Amino acid sequence: MWSGHGGFESGYGGAAISGGYTQSPGGFGSPAATQGEKKQRSRSQNIVPCTVSQLYAAEQIDETFKIREVEISQVVIMGIIRQAEKAPTNILYKIDDMTAAPMDVRQWVDTDEAGSENVVVPPGTYVKVAGHLRSFQNKKSLVAFKIMPLEDMNEFTTHLLEIVNAHMVLRKSIMTTSKMPQSLGSFGMSDMASYGCGSNVPVNGLTAHQSQVLNLIKSCPDPEGLSLKELKSQLHNINMTTIKQAVEFLSSEGHIYSTVDDDHYKSTDAE
Amino acid sequence: MGDVHEGPRPRIATSHLAQHLGKPVCFVGRLEKIHPSGKLFILSDGEGKNTTVELSEPLDEELSGVIEVVGRVTNQATILCMSYVQFREDKSAFDLALYNEALKIIHEFPEYFPFGVTRND
Repeated sequence: MWSGHGGFESGYGGAAISGGYTQSPGGFGSPAATQGEKKQRSRSQNIVPCTVSQLYAAEQIDETFKIREVEISQVVIMGIIRQAEKAPTNILYKIDDMTAAPMDVRQWVDTDEAGSENVVVPPGTYVKVAGHLRSFQNKKSLVAFKIMPLEDMNEFTTHLLEIVNAHMVLRKSIMTTSKMPQSLGSFGMSDMASYGCGSNVPVNGLTAHQSQVLNLIKSCPDPEGLSLKELKSQLHNINMTTIKQAVEFLSSEGHIYSTVDDDHYKSTDAE
Repeated sequence: MGDVHEGPRPRIATSHLAQHLGKPVCFVGRLEKIHPSGKLFILSDGEGKNTTVELSEPLDEELSGVIEVVGRVTNQATILCMSYVQFREDKSAFDLALYNEALKIIHEFPEYFPFGVTRND
């Protein structure tokens, strides 16, 4: 069922998300299909710390949710369990973080697997919940893929700060680039620090040097492609070692391929 | 009175009590003293300032450490407690001063940390 369940740290990349959706019971079939397709456009790959009030206020446009223009899908909340109801296939919690009324959080239970998934966390416990935001008949809820009791309440203080930081930073990057930031990881604190920095900031996963090399290779119409010598002569500010490293990276990523020999490359993108 | 748990309860420190008279709040502080009647206790916040918490029923358990109180601020700037929870400190001590700093941040940026649901984004 929830194959990503035990793999919270590793399992929130794109593949795990769509895998989880298609297997999800609970009647959300159509959102799963469209969200799978939407994966290739710049939809949120982030997991964003939020308040329950933000989740309730999030606007829904088709299958996407937005909080102040920031697209959200996977979220982390922290709150106290007010109620826990165990059903055969799921546990329904009401989780309260003081910002609004408690939120419904559903955790699907793997009926075959004995173990922690079936243990109900008792009311009165502060927990960290990672899950997907859902809306059904205008009522928001979360489908949790991980619920963990907080062992150190200082984590809660950190969470308060992370919420402000994440939403501020995400909103700023939307306002300035008008495009979703790529691969923020947890929500990109360290990436954000280097965001405005200059030539070595990855864009689309490529550094400036790699992009320059790729663009030159792409623009070459010859069937045997562009040679390393030609690249060096056109890119005066980049030394041969860097060019070779860029070519190696681009080749291993599949952006370019060698033609007549290891010195000549063409782009895999049709121009 | 209404169930305060069904709406927003801003997290505050002692210095904010005056701005929230009559309103539901959430207060975290360290237990300083319990009145012998068990119907009143004093919590100190991250700045060391004390708040008086009143209970409608006397305490039926031993309380200690850091307590999170949900309740309504009275006109005397005390808190009438609706529910409380003891923060666990078995693994690590709770840094109340740091929590107080975090409160300043969340109060400074209500657009990124809203109490209550508004749809005017």
